[in-house]
Amino acid sequence: MARKFNIALSSRLSPFQKFYLLIIAGFILGPFIPLIIQSFAFRWAWPDLLPGTWWLEQRDRAMVPLAWDYVLSPYSRVWEATVNTVLIGSIVTVICLAICLPAARVLAREKFRGKSAFEFFLSLPLIVPEAAIGIALLMMFIRLGLAGSYVGIIIAHLIPTIPYMVRMLTAVYQGLGRDFEEQAMILGASRWQVLRLVTLPMLLPGVVAGALFTFLVSTNIFLLTFFLGQGQIVTLPTLLFSKIAGGTLDASAAGITLIVTLPGIILLIISERFIKEEAFGKGFGN
Amino acid sequence: MSVSSSIASRSGAQERMTARERRTRFWQMVQLVPIMAILVLLFGGALVLAILQSLGFAPWFGVNTFPDFSYFGALWGSSTFWVSLGLTLYYATVSTVIALILGILLALALVKTFPSKTFYKYLYKLPLMIPYTVGIALAVLMLSNGGMLSRLAAFFGMIDDPAQFPQILKTHYGWGIIAVYVWKQTPFITLAVYAVLLGIGRETEEAAAILGANRRTIFFRVTLPQILPGVVSSTLICFAFNVGAFEAPFILGGGFPDTLPVVAWRYFNDADYTLQLQGMATVVSIGLVAGVILFGYLAAYRRYERRMGRN
Repeated sequence: MARKFNIALSSRLSPFQKFYLLIIAGFILGPFIPLIIQSFAFRWAWPDLLPGTWWLEQRDRAMVPLAWDYVLSPYSRVWEATVNTVLIGSIVTVICLAICLPAARVLAREKFRGKSAFEFFLSLPLIVPEAAIGIALLMMFIRLGLAGSYVGIIIAHLIPTIPYMVRMLTAVYQGLGRDFEEQAMILGASRWQVLRLVTLPMLLPGVVAGALFTFLVSTNIFLLTFFLGQGQIVTLPTLLFSKIAGGTLDASAAGITLIVTLPGIILLIISERFIKEEAFGKGFGN
Repeated sequence: MSVSSSIASRSGAQERMTARERRTRFWQMVQLVPIMAILVLLFGGALVLAILQSLGFAPWFGVNTFPDFSYFGALWGSSTFWVSLGLTLYYATVSTVIALILGILLALALVKTFPSKTFYKYLYKLPLMIPYTVGIALAVLMLSNGGMLSRLAAFFGMIDDPAQFPQILKTHYGWGIIAVYVWKQTPFITLAVYAVLLGIGRETEEAAAILGANRRTIFFRVTLPQILPGVVSSTLICFAFNVGAFEAPFILGGGFPDTLPVVAWRYFNDADYTLQLQGMATVVSIGLVAGVILFGYLAAYRRYERRMGRN
């Protein structure tokens, strides 16, 4: 009995869980090892587990790895795509914040008729298939002359980002409570002082988390950018798509894949400090 | 939205609303307008346009036979549509279920205490941070006939020609597509479930253990009902995404018949622009099917919640 009790309650990993965690690490990280190797390979024939010829052995022909020479040159459009991705992501984040902050404050603090219906409506973009929205939006934007423009893409990116942003900010406002602001007012602070000295500093961590997450979602969007960009505006996901659309992955495509992964790794390291799992405790939908 | 009645219900029917209260209430509603406007215009606009067009309203092509159900008729009358629909739902369902199982197992492991926990808390979020196209590139690298798994199989002497490696990508079984979805969505479901697990703590599990429940019973009777909200919301999002996803089936799919989003895209890029109306009918069909399934799923969940005495 006592032994069974210990197993049921143990805060340590069971042998199966240890094994499972190793498998997961292999599943997530494993494919990146051949990816890195591929980007430095000169020639890599089929049954070989490692490239037959590395670029190092071909230094007389190419001073830098061939793939990387191409990736870092303007011909690959990697730089252009990176700038576009960051630019679109930043503008989307700013607009999204501006729209969602006031709405989140009202949603967190007030009760009104139809509130739950309104909240359901706000999470609707998460559960309507992207392809359905994307193609219909494209038709609309062609009429409006917004297809293939930055404005069009930025507007479209608001659809999948708003639900996350408003949810995270609502949670922040709920956690904040009204007490501190009222205290400050009782002590004679003006509205502006309350906002500047009390509300904003207390909101900041949550706002940063929401902004990071919105930026992340925006930089990962493929379908809306691809449909609405009309090939005129490339971002990192659409650039990579065009490289691998044929279903093969050569050395330069491997290099581009690594470049496309990089912003995600940077965001992961930054956001781990701000985005806490607890923030999602209430779930995403309904 | 009836402002005065909601005030009344909040602060008692007799109390009259002061002008000041009414003004604050008005400003509160104003703060909701931008978010509402964007979603209604973009989302609602796209929806209305899609439905109108699929019913034959496209004056800019010189087509205006509204209301005309022939586009739906032609689409739903062809057997390839149903095959496409079946494939779309098959990929979406299988990958969501696999990701759910892997995600719950991972979340259960993550609440334990172990030395490399910090590392794993970074690691499991990595696929969440990078685009699907990266996952597709990795699938091509690993799973194709000349890929890493095929090389490993050759290394262990199981095959001696790439053609002998079982075809994983570009088949209608779609294991490549499913692998990409699972790789990308297991972290998402893990995050949602792990968050709920952190929120509920371990007291109820401890109580069950003291009362003599074994691990299996604890999981199915105590833990699972509590994490269900996280499970439902995250699987809803994953499933809806999978139904509407385009890039993975486009690159890794088995070709004709394609999944519905790819079919719609092909209609739109066809030189014959009147096929765009057929494409719109496809798009509306995707929305309808996803809507019906997700609504049924939510309704079943609500019923379960009521039966459990939760609301």
